[in-house]
Amino acid sequence: MAHHSHPYHMVDPSPWPLTGAIAALLMTSGLAVWFHFHSTSLMLLGTILLTLTVIQWWRDIVREGTFQGHHTPPVQKGLRYGMILFITSEVLFFLGFFWAFNHSSLAPTPELGGNWPPAGITPLDPFEVPLLNTAVLLASGVTVTWAHHAIMEGKRKQAIHALALTILLGSYFTFLQAMEYNEAPFTIADGVYGCTFFVATGFHGLHVLIGSTFLAICLARQIQHHFTSEHHFGFEAAAWYWHFVDVVWLFLYISIYWWGS
Amino acid sequence: MAEDIKTKLENYRTAPFDARFPNQNQTRNCWSNYLDYHRCQKALEAKGEDTLPCQWYKRVYTSLCPISWVQKWDDQRAEGTFPGKI
Repeated sequence: MAHHSHPYHMVDPSPWPLTGAIAALLMTSGLAVWFHFHSTSLMLLGTILLTLTVIQWWRDIVREGTFQGHHTPPVQKGLRYGMILFITSEVLFFLGFFWAFNHSSLAPTPELGGNWPPAGITPLDPFEVPLLNTAVLLASGVTVTWAHHAIMEGKRKQAIHALALTILLGSYFTFLQAMEYNEAPFTIADGVYGCTFFVATGFHGLHVLIGSTFLAICLARQIQHHFTSEHHFGFEAAAWYWHFVDVVWLFLYISIYWWGS
Repeated sequence: MAEDIKTKLENYRTAPFDARFPNQNQTRNCWSNYLDYHRCQKALEAKGEDTLPCQWYKRVYTSLCPISWVQKWDDQRAEGTFPGKI
């Protein structure tokens, strides 16, 4: 380990930023290739490279923090700022899709019949599966907070149970939403309604999958004794992300599912 | 009342200012009057009354709407694919 008289982390040279950038390039150009030439190979290659990059990059961060002790309090503070800024950027990302929905739904054009929902669209009943989904995610917000308190109080078994329950609830949401997508009477191609609905809820679903994965990694780490009652930032970051996903759903539910029906 | 409508129609030059649609974009004004004319026709014909009052709406939308829009909407109504509620 390097000897230095400051608490900051001078990171060792790593290939993962480069492979990540290459993956991003292949994924985006692969998307264009898919649109024009109907081949998904380049995009698939990019996705595989991205997956390998994130696994190895974050594995290295876990090694540096948990096993090599590089995550001193100032370093952890930087990681906190980083996560907060990232989540803020994601909020702005979703804001764009909410803007699009509001633009089209607040002043419906004659082509839609001057109404929202547009003529010919049967929206989903907000008091059926969508309401259940809301309850599921809110419950998962409670269980993840329970898990956090268990970690802070050194209650290992309880933390494992609460975290597992959170992931289970997240998976139940994903399952229910997949069923809804399968049985919905409208598609993404059904005018501006279908487009705003599926792009907004679709990106939300992607974030649920990402959040669930993050929580699952935390569960594995908790089982392997990585977290202490005072130092468990990886878990906190996952919990913040999960709460963000929950809040986005609440906005989706109120505006698109409920008001929009 | 019918005499008032008659005088109004005789004095008609162009669509008057409608405070419901104060801004530059008058799409909604055209759309609203097109719908109102056809709803008026439908309602008065169902009651067996004279549809002269409906002519006001027709004059307004004829003044405001692009001809292509009116033609498209008339075709849609004939086909049964008109999205508005009449």
